[in-house]
Formats: sequence, structure tokens, C-alpha cells
Amino acid sequence: MPGWGKKLVALGLFFALCTPLFAEKLIDTLFLNQGKIEMVDGVQMPYFSFNSTSVFSKENTRLLVDVGDSLELLIVNTDSVDHAFQVKGLTASTSISANDSVWVNVELTETGAFIYYDPSAGEKYRYMGAAGMIVVRNPNQQTSDFYWNMKDHQSVYNVSLSEGQNVDWSQYYPDYFTINGRSNPDINADPAARVAGKVGDTLHIYMVNTGQSIHSIHFHGYHAKIMYSSKFPDHVGRNKDTFPIYGMEVVALELVPHQPGEYPVHDHNLVAVSAGNIYPNGMFLTLLIE
Amino acid sequence: MKKYFPFIFTLISCFTTILAQEENFFLIARNKGEKILTTGDTIRTFGFARKLSEQPGVPGPTLVVKEGDSVHIDLLNMSQGAPHTIHLHGLDVDQQNDGVPHLSFEIPHMEHGFYHFKAPHPGTYLYHCHVASTIHVQAGMYGLIIVKPSDGSNKTWDGGESFVNEHSYFLSEIDTVWHRDSVLLHPYDTSHVMNHIQIPHFDPQFFLINGLSDQQLLDSNVVFESSMGQQDFVRLANIGFCGVRVIFPQQLKARIVSSDGRPFETEESSDTIYVYPGERYGVLTKSSVEFSDQIRFEYLDLNTNQLKNTQVIPVSVQGQLGLPNFDQEEITAQLVPNPFYGNTDLHLSLREGRELTFKIYDLQGRLVEEHEERFFTVGQHEVALGKSLRESGIYTLQIISAGNVIQLEKLLRLE
Repeated sequence: MPGWGKKLVALGLFFALCTPLFAEKLIDTLFLNQGKIEMVDGVQMPYFSFNSTSVFSKENTRLLVDVGDSLELLIVNTDSVDHAFQVKGLTASTSISANDSVWVNVELTETGAFIYYDPSAGEKYRYMGAAGMIVVRNPNQQTSDFYWNMKDHQSVYNVSLSEGQNVDWSQYYPDYFTINGRSNPDINADPAARVAGKVGDTLHIYMVNTGQSIHSIHFHGYHAKIMYSSKFPDHVGRNKDTFPIYGMEVVALELVPHQPGEYPVHDHNLVAVSAGNIYPNGMFLTLLIE
Repeated sequence: MKKYFPFIFTLISCFTTILAQEENFFLIARNKGEKILTTGDTIRTFGFARKLSEQPGVPGPTLVVKEGDSVHIDLLNMSQGAPHTIHLHGLDVDQQNDGVPHLSFEIPHMEHGFYHFKAPHPGTYLYHCHVASTIHVQAGMYGLIIVKPSDGSNKTWDGGESFVNEHSYFLSEIDTVWHRDSVLLHPYDTSHVMNHIQIPHFDPQFFLINGLSDQQLLDSNVVFESSMGQQDFVRLANIGFCGVRVIFPQQLKARIVSSDGRPFETEESSDTIYVYPGERYGVLTKSSVEFSDQIRFEYLDLNTNQLKNTQVIPVSVQGQLGLPNFDQEEITAQLVPNPFYGNTDLHLSLREGRELTFKIYDLQGRLVEEHEERFFTVGQHEVALGKSLRESGIYTLQIISAGNVIQLEKLLRLE
């Protein structure tokens, strides 16, 4: 074997030994729970959520991993009917019988955000809340990260679907709009959603829209660069103050604030800045930059 | 050489100062505007006017400045109702000038408020009231801000591409229910950080381009006119609550070069552009052929993605010498009656004999009636139209000569 061949073998062995130090196999459990979400005005509606325990929480568990990691997920169905689990673009749909569980392996080879959800029953459980996000980060990046899981609901549709009735999606008109299960003014109380930092910081905002509607998100005070867009990959690199995020799609932004202040971020479909038809209780929060 | 540096520096500074100016605007916020719709009905609006004797328009006045200008807006609230503000949408102003009541300031009745900013990147921006914004924007309190390059030239930005003419299409909708006093004159307590206000179901009946729709748009002579080989710039801005799919004729070879006041690193060649609420786009067009057609604006429901309405802007690209390929006075056309039941008659008057074709489209752009090409002699003619129209509603008639749409008419069929 020539000298350079030996060097290559040695290099290969080095990386093979080092790989486990960097890429990890993570094991986690998600419980699919049924419950009720209470909206900002006190209205309650049937809801489903993937949580880290068998106790229902309106907020789907966020899975944060480093690029190159793999996830072994145990999905536990606590419901008395069959459900399913899928990571959009990464895994096929896996059925889960009532009160049963399955293992799902997810390989995460690129940075970005991915939607996991329940695709069963025409995605009615996904619409009723059962959808969360996996964020795949570059461990070497020094950024402050924020996470928005955006949803919309027409309260009577949640009730009808939970009672086994059909709904007419061509007449869909949502009356609640949430980020991480909250509406204005409660979104600002969620440190994962409320964007906070200092002038010059690099802030990354990972957004998934797991609802039905298209949301047109407007930033006051700043333009942000699109880092990742599952719907429009050719929009990456654009500096925007307003951009759409479609249902079941992902957008990741990089914001480097140039000025201090408190500025709103909201859906510029201004009907979505409401809850139960009351303005301004919808998809509205503020950025706080020191 | 060094001895010239102070002189050169002073010269550059003076030149920059000459180009950058103080721009002062005075606007009055009013809540007793009136808007006549294409049906002839009048609704109440809120809006911005430049002087007391002026009706507040929908949209409000377009403010044009140059990059680097120091811009000052004096807003006087004379509305006898809720306070108002101006949000400078996309201009990335500081918090004090951002126009959000509980984070900046609000302007009560009979008081002035002052906004200041340095005009940033050339591009298209918006201004609108941010008090109870869902209601006040629908009420009509919005306008465009155009930032030109620092020398005021017809370029996309400093160092960008030149163009001959620019066309702004400002998109919105009207739901007449929202224009009733019971909605517009909402309660407002200035001692509250946030006022909670009930909003109605949004189901717009009118879909606007620059404040006009349907027959109003055709009557207004808003036409995209250009010449072969001429580069033009189109500004698209959406302040409504629908998404709008804008479809350019292929011959215009549309290139999307900027959005939200920032140039793209990589431009996009596409005839179709989706403009969502709050977004703005800059589009360069240039046709190498002579033709007539239309730009289509398809308004989409953001909850169902269903098409709600289509509006059109006629396009006419003339010959290379800038001469029209068709003298519009050579033909006059009138639909009698219009609106109509059953069918209507097209009264034609021709100064020259010519082959003509007639096509009728519905609002979804579907061809619903076509009359084969035939020769019409000089003089008066009557053509019966509309026999194939089964449903009441608005339709578009295209009169076509030698492959070009030479005239557009709106038809309103009644049941």
C-alpha cells in the first residue's frame, strides 16, 4: 500500500472513531394525548397533542437535535382509537393501534425544521392539534433560537370532528389563531416564542405552520433573511419584512437586529389578529431588543 | 494629492446634501369619507386626506420620496372618534415612529402627531393606521410610500436597471358590512393598553386595484401601455386580507427583481407572482412583440385557497416607433342594454371595415361564449351577445382584431 493509501486509511479510522462523539442516537418518547385546549377568551375545544408524558398539554413537545443525529422515537397512543405518526419528508406514515405504541427511526441529515404529525383520518387529528416540530441545528452556530408552531382553528369544526361528524373544508373560517398553543397577549409569556435579544445578536426563528390557513407574517422594525423554506426553496436568501407560510410548511429566519426597541410581529391577514372575533387576541406578539 | 481630499470630501458631501432633501407631508385622518362602489352604492370609509376640503380617498395619497431624504409626516386627527396613527410598514423605523398605539403613541381627535424617518432602500412601502388595525385598514386608512433612488431617476435602485414607465397596483378588498357605523364606530378607551374590539365575519364583495373594481376599473382607463423593447417597472402591493395571484401575459417577460424594499440576489423570471397581505414586489417587464392582452389579479381565500374574484388590467404594447397599431377612434362599441336579462346587443360603429372576433369570459377566466371571426363593413352594426351566459354575474367581453384585443367591456347579466 503506498504511503498516501495508509494515510487515507488512518484518516478514515480517525473519523470513524470520532463520529460517535458528534452524531448521537437519541431516544425519546411522545405520547399522543387527547384533551381540551382553553383559548385566550376561555372557550374550550377538543384537541390532540404529542406530549413527553401521558398527561395532556396543549403544546406539542419540541424535539431539538443536532444535524447528523438520529432519533429513535417511541410513539405511545393513549387514545382508544387508532392513530398514526409521520415526519413530513423524512418518514412514511406508521399506524399505531389504540392503546399501543410503535418505534419510529428518524435520520436527520440536514439542518432546518421538520413537521411531525398524525396523518390518519384525513389529517383531522393533525388539524385538531396533533402536530409538532423537530428542529435540526448546527451545533457550532452561536445563535439564540426561537420556535413557533402556528395553528388555526374553527372552534365548531373541532367539536364536530371530535364527535365523528364531517366538516366542509371549502367553508373553513377559523376563529382562533395560535403560536405554541397561545394567542395574544399570552404568546409573549412563552420564552420559546417571544423573540428577545440584543442589537447585533444572531437570532434564528423556526416556524412551522401545522394549521390549514396561509399566514402572512409581518415584522415591524426589521427585515429578516429567509434561511430555509420548505415551500419555496428559491426564496432562501431574500430579506423580507412580510412573507407567507403555507399549511404544513416550514420557514426559518435569521434576524440580526440593527436597533433596539419593542416591535410587533403579526399575521397581516388582520382577521387572524383576533380570537373568538375579538381584536387583537390572535396571532400577534412582540420582539424585544435591548 | 492629499491637499485635494478635503475639497473632494466637501464636494461629495454637498452633492449628497443637494440630492437628499427634507420632505414634509401633511395628512388629515378623517372618518367621514364616502366611497362609491362599482354598483353605484355608497359606503362610509375612513381615510387620509391632504387638506380639509379633500375627501379622504381609498387608498390615501401616495407619498414619493428619494433614498436618503429626511421625511416628516404631520398627521392631524379630525375624526371625532377613535385615535389614529400611521404605521410605516416596511420602513424599519424606530419604535417611537412605528405607529403602534401601545408601543409608540396615538393621536386623539384634533391633535397632531409627527413621524420622522430617513428614507431607506428604494422600493415600495405602505402606511396605514395601526389603531384597531383590522377595522381601520378595512375602513380605508392606507396608502403607498414609494422610495426612489437618491437621484430620483427611473431606476430600480441606485446602480439598478433603468425603466421608462412605472405602474403601481395596490390591492385590497371591501366587505360592505364592515363599513356600517355599528362596526366603524367601535368603542375605544384611551386609558387601556389594548382595546378589545369585536370584528365581523369577513366576506368581501368588492376586490380592488388602486381602490377600483370591475367596471370602475375599465372606465378609469387604468391601462398598462408600453412599446416594443421598452422596459417598465411594476409595483405590486397588497394591503387586503386575501392573497392575490398576479398573472402577467407571457409576452411581457416578467422578471421579479425585488420585494419589501430589498433587491433579490437572484431575480426570478415568472409570469405568476403571489402577493400576500403586507407584501410588496418589484417586477420588470419588456416585450419584444406588439400585442394586447391583460394582467389578471386573482384574489384567493387564505383559509381555503379558493378563488374568490378576478380583476384585470388591459395591456397594450405598441409598435417599435411608439405608434399605436390600432386607432381606437376607428371603432366605438356599446352594449345595449347593460345590465341585461337573457342577451344584449353590441352596437358597433366602424370607420374602416375589418375582421372582428368576440369572446366572453367569466370572472374565473373561462371562455363562455365565442363568436367566430367575420368581416364588418364601414358603418353601424348590431351583434347579439350573451346567449350562452347561464348564470347572473359579471363577464368580460373582448373585441379582437387581427389577433389583438382592441377593446374590453364588462357585461352584467341579471337573473
